[in-house]
Amino acid sequence: MNKMLPEILKIKSLLIGYASGKRSMSLLPPLDASANTGELIAIMGRNGIGKSTLLRSVAGLQKPLGGLVLINNEITEGFSRLKYAKTVGYISTDIVRVSHMRVYDLVALGRFPHTNWIGHIDSAADLIIRSAIAKAGLPGFENRLISELSDGERQRTMIARVLAQDTDIMIMDEPMAFLDISGKYGIINLMKELTSGGKTVIFSTHDFNIAVNQADKIWLVTASGIIQGAPEDLNLANAFDCLFDTGLKGFNPEEGISDNNSALFPEIQVEGEDSRIRFQTIKALQRAGFRVTDRLLTLKVKLPSGNSGWILHTDRTITECKTLYDLVRLLKS
Amino acid sequence: MIMQPGTVDLKQYPEDLSAMTRRWLIPILILLLCVFFALDIFLGSVTISPGDVIKAFTGEADLNTETLIFKFRLPKAFTAILAGIALSLSGLQMQTIFRNPMAGPYVLGVSSGAGLGVALVVLGFSSGFESGNIHSSGSWMIVSAAWAGAGSVMLLIMFISSRVRDIMTILITGMMLASGISAVVSILQYFSNETMLKAYVVWTMGSLGNLSRSQLNVLALSVGAGVLLCLFSVKMLNALLIGENYASSIGLNVRFARVVIFSSTSILAGSVTAFCGPVAFIGIAVPHIVRNLIRTSDHRLLVPGTIFTGAIIMLISDILSQLPGSENVLPVNSVTSLIGIPVVMWLILRRNKNSELF
Repeated sequence: MNKMLPEILKIKSLLIGYASGKRSMSLLPPLDASANTGELIAIMGRNGIGKSTLLRSVAGLQKPLGGLVLINNEITEGFSRLKYAKTVGYISTDIVRVSHMRVYDLVALGRFPHTNWIGHIDSAADLIIRSAIAKAGLPGFENRLISELSDGERQRTMIARVLAQDTDIMIMDEPMAFLDISGKYGIINLMKELTSGGKTVIFSTHDFNIAVNQADKIWLVTASGIIQGAPEDLNLANAFDCLFDTGLKGFNPEEGISDNNSALFPEIQVEGEDSRIRFQTIKALQRAGFRVTDRLLTLKVKLPSGNSGWILHTDRTITECKTLYDLVRLLKS
Repeated sequence: MIMQPGTVDLKQYPEDLSAMTRRWLIPILILLLCVFFALDIFLGSVTISPGDVIKAFTGEADLNTETLIFKFRLPKAFTAILAGIALSLSGLQMQTIFRNPMAGPYVLGVSSGAGLGVALVVLGFSSGFESGNIHSSGSWMIVSAAWAGAGSVMLLIMFISSRVRDIMTILITGMMLASGISAVVSILQYFSNETMLKAYVVWTMGSLGNLSRSQLNVLALSVGAGVLLCLFSVKMLNALLIGENYASSIGLNVRFARVVIFSSTSILAGSVTAFCGPVAFIGIAVPHIVRNLIRTSDHRLLVPGTIFTGAIIMLISDILSQLPGSENVLPVNSVTSLIGIPVVMWLILRRNKNSELF
């Protein structure tokens, strides 16, 4: 890329928390972070650390206790709700339940900051609403009642609403909660489409794999502030350690899987070429508590070939297993 | 992508009903309104033949009939229309702002608050009041007291609902509030004299028929102001449907919206309660009838629909309360309760089946 995309959002010494009366309680030390146009940013952090409060503060829905939020280098303090709503769209984990409300009606509310006093939808607005619904992957859903939607469809409807709102920044609080795996990837792909179209998407998630593999940048919320950077940068700096209890063994953030490849475990040799079968076999063996090597050992597993299954060689026996499940059971006994 | 968009069964999801509804809703409702308005004038405890009623309008009827029509039936029909509009509209606004299908001026204690205001004026402060004069003087004083009472309860409920999210808690609070207020009113009654007491008790039974011309004017002006405020807040009500958080995120100034909508609700419910007594269940039932009739959540349709349906149902209640053909008259409050309670019961039973808010 020959031209760096501009910085669209910046938080500066932002102090988030709740004020009641004269007392105020901040959740975290002052936070600093930034986002550039077109980036997909994942916010990670442990439960209850203040991710939702941070998102609400960035979206202007909650007054910060101190510090600044800058949008396009403009200080947002004193923005009217209307001006904010034209730049930042927000989706929380709240589920909208209204009877007789159609997908179209809900998405049309995204036009709120742009319509007249009674909320008249003219033909131009109608076009924007319909294309937002289509872009969110719901063509033909205009007249569906929102109470009849699946979790994934409901989330897409909310995204369509923000698309209709036509904001440069989209903020989503755990957009993939409640969704099954394909639903999750459907939403993440949609978010990536939006960012490649120039939107900046900031979302919080507990899904480590999705955040690390899909986001352009991660804001890692820790008790000592935000650590930001590309997922790989954070991995190199061992930043993700803060997500896990120190006593918790068996997780390797770089692979995102349980890591049993420690010297304490017995070694086993895997013989065979098929990479897909090999990958799954190694996973199964690791789960069973073995360390996989290529060295020649008496304890080895031959990958299936032809009609045979997995063949386990020990110093005394040779056993054939039809499934990995049987293999693991055998090894454990 | 997992879903297969585009394979929507068109029979199951018919093309936008609202275009058709938009065109026909208002004319049909106006027609019905005219029909029931006429029926309300033609029918009553005293049987007057339709011919005589028409003669009264052309000035050919005898004096008794003319008095009956112009001094009693016509003002009563107008009062019914105003009361129906006001109560239904305040119910609609409350259901939206509280996001609660059970909200309504009567259920949440707003009518009780207005009643307390009236009780304070009638039983408490105005011991210099000509006894039993509740209907002839101090219209503005009574109506202002009712507004203040209704507004205070609204503020209290709002304060509680900003801290407590649970709908049932808010409802129970409203009921407790209503009970507390009726306890205070009982104390006031205990210390007031007999004639004032009687005036108050008659007021609590609810009546559409006791308004003087000047009171009717006050009521009409107040309801007009409340309706205007409500029309002004149509867009805000639509935004509030999806909750204050989202409403705020799409650019609504929630605090301003609350002030406008609360003012409208308090004025509407307060004025009607002041003059007609606490009329039950119209406020909660009519908005639901309208929603299920026109199947939309859009207040641009719901507000006019509620205005006309509220007026029509109140006219029907009034006609029924006259028990046409008999000499007896029922309190209008009982009739509206008998119409409203089945609707509310149906709502509660339906809530168990699906988790929608409205």
